[in-house]
Amino acid sequence: MTSLVSARGVSKHYGRVRAVDDISFEIEKGRIMGLIGPNGAGKTTLLKALLGLTDCEGELSVLGLDPFKQRKELMRNICFIADVAVLPRWIRVSQLLDFVESVHPNFSRDKAEALLKKTKVDKRRDSRVRELSKGMVTQLHLSIIAAIDAKFLVLDEPTLGLDIIFRKEFYANLLSDYFDEERTILVTTHQVEEIENILTDIMFINEGRIILDRTMDSLAESYVELMTSGELADEARNMGPIAERDIFGKKIMLFEKPDRERLADFGELHTPSVADLFVAKIKGATA
Amino acid sequence: MIGTQIALLKREIWEYRSIYVTPIAVAIAVSLISLAAIVTVSAFDTEVHLAILSAANIAGDAERQAALTIYFVGTSWIFLVALGILTIFYSLDSLYSERKDKSILFWRSLPVTDSETVISKLVMAIFVIPLVTVGVIILTNIVNLVITSIWIAIQGGDAGHMVWGSVALLDNWIAALVFTIASALWMSPFIGWFLFVSTVTKRAPLLMAFMPLILIPIIEWIFFRSKVFVDAVVDRGDLNPLLRGMDIEELFDEDRMQVNEELISLLGRLDIVQFLGSPSLWTGVVVCGLFTTAAIYVRRYRDES
Repeated sequence: MTSLVSARGVSKHYGRVRAVDDISFEIEKGRIMGLIGPNGAGKTTLLKALLGLTDCEGELSVLGLDPFKQRKELMRNICFIADVAVLPRWIRVSQLLDFVESVHPNFSRDKAEALLKKTKVDKRRDSRVRELSKGMVTQLHLSIIAAIDAKFLVLDEPTLGLDIIFRKEFYANLLSDYFDEERTILVTTHQVEEIENILTDIMFINEGRIILDRTMDSLAESYVELMTSGELADEARNMGPIAERDIFGKKIMLFEKPDRERLADFGELHTPSVADLFVAKIKGATA
Repeated sequence: MIGTQIALLKREIWEYRSIYVTPIAVAIAVSLISLAAIVTVSAFDTEVHLAILSAANIAGDAERQAALTIYFVGTSWIFLVALGILTIFYSLDSLYSERKDKSILFWRSLPVTDSETVISKLVMAIFVIPLVTVGVIILTNIVNLVITSIWIAIQGGDAGHMVWGSVALLDNWIAALVFTIASALWMSPFIGWFLFVSTVTKRAPLLMAFMPLILIPIIEWIFFRSKVFVDAVVDRGDLNPLLRGMDIEELFDEDRMQVNEELISLLGRLDIVQFLGSPSLWTGVVVCGLFTTAAIYVRRYRDES
């Protein structure tokens, strides 16, 4: 079995609300999967189910374990950053390192120290978390996570509220310090454009359902954006674009499973950005 | 397993500095009051102040022994009241603050089970926090006896005999230890209840913990005209079977002086056998266990959203 995560018919409802509705997917080892969805799409609920924080219907297996029933075993091999604010505010940096070292069998203190040396937190070992800036707290958290030899890393809006420099640095560090082919990452964020070049796979979720689940490589084959105008635009429209928008008097049309040769006659072809594809798909799904 | 538990207990001491700050504050207050008492007495004639501690004067060995022992019991009592308040606040906050500041998600991202976490909080409330207080009680006792000795020496008295030879220190200290841990066990159903409230309530844990203690008796009285609940709760505050052999006035009793006990044994006055054989103790421990299990269950299965 190469699937690290396997979900079959997973559902979770709160009262009548179906937060996650009959979802099936696989995540394979060594991939970086982006989970993208609007607010209230069921992202967080799905992540919680994967982390064993909530139970669910259907078959769900993470690292071959039932996440809800085998949480402790799971947590040895899985790490998550749910939000930048979750580190306890009263704890000192050195205490935090001591604590994780004594409870986590896969934590390498040396590696964490080496990673922290590269950050501003290095000179603040005696500071409490509440005295650090938000960016420093994230650096601290990522240094700890990266020093844990875990097979699977789950990031839920890890860069929320950080400035652009910290955000760029965060993802750069994630790739250089954490990721290798033995490890797998699942990340959710609203800032799709910042992560699209590091992803290997992408999944769109809306109203509890998966509306797209592909590798990034196949995305370029399956979708194309046409820039056109005037009468050509009317003709192109007959080919059934899934979305259309105006930019500077030009029409941008998005096609699924396109006939490239024919489309090329109408104007310029581009690979759509994930953000544009996302907007088109969500609008299409709710229309 | 043990390593994780020790790490969890350490974490509690890091988070709740009041565990040692409170008894130290009481210790400073008690020592200052004792010192003030000595200074006040010193303002009188030598005749008067030596009378309190000197065998050469009207007070005999027996009275002095009783006075020193009662001084220990009295000051320890102040520590125990502070300990009680500290334990209430600690157990009510311990599973509430991690939800309030959302750090619970971080704690739960580590390979530590909910049982291990909740049990560490229970161990803190019943053993570690009382042990810290007993440690400070003993230190304070030593410091104050040293101060008293210095004062007696300045007055020309024999501190070795009058202080150190007149009180069974080790006996008193062990008694303080036994009494404190026994009280925590005796009160354990309340500690269990507080931990449970701490993990369940969305706001105002103090209010949520004490409201039922007031409402249940009222409801019980309205519907059943009975006072079972009140009796059970009041009895627990009142009838610690450990103390049934203890009578402070007896220490000054003529009879005791005639028996000529060598030094007053506090430990000998604690009825440990009766305490351990008391069904009330074990019923309480079971109730504590049930509340703790419920707290673990809620922390484990509640959906944090």
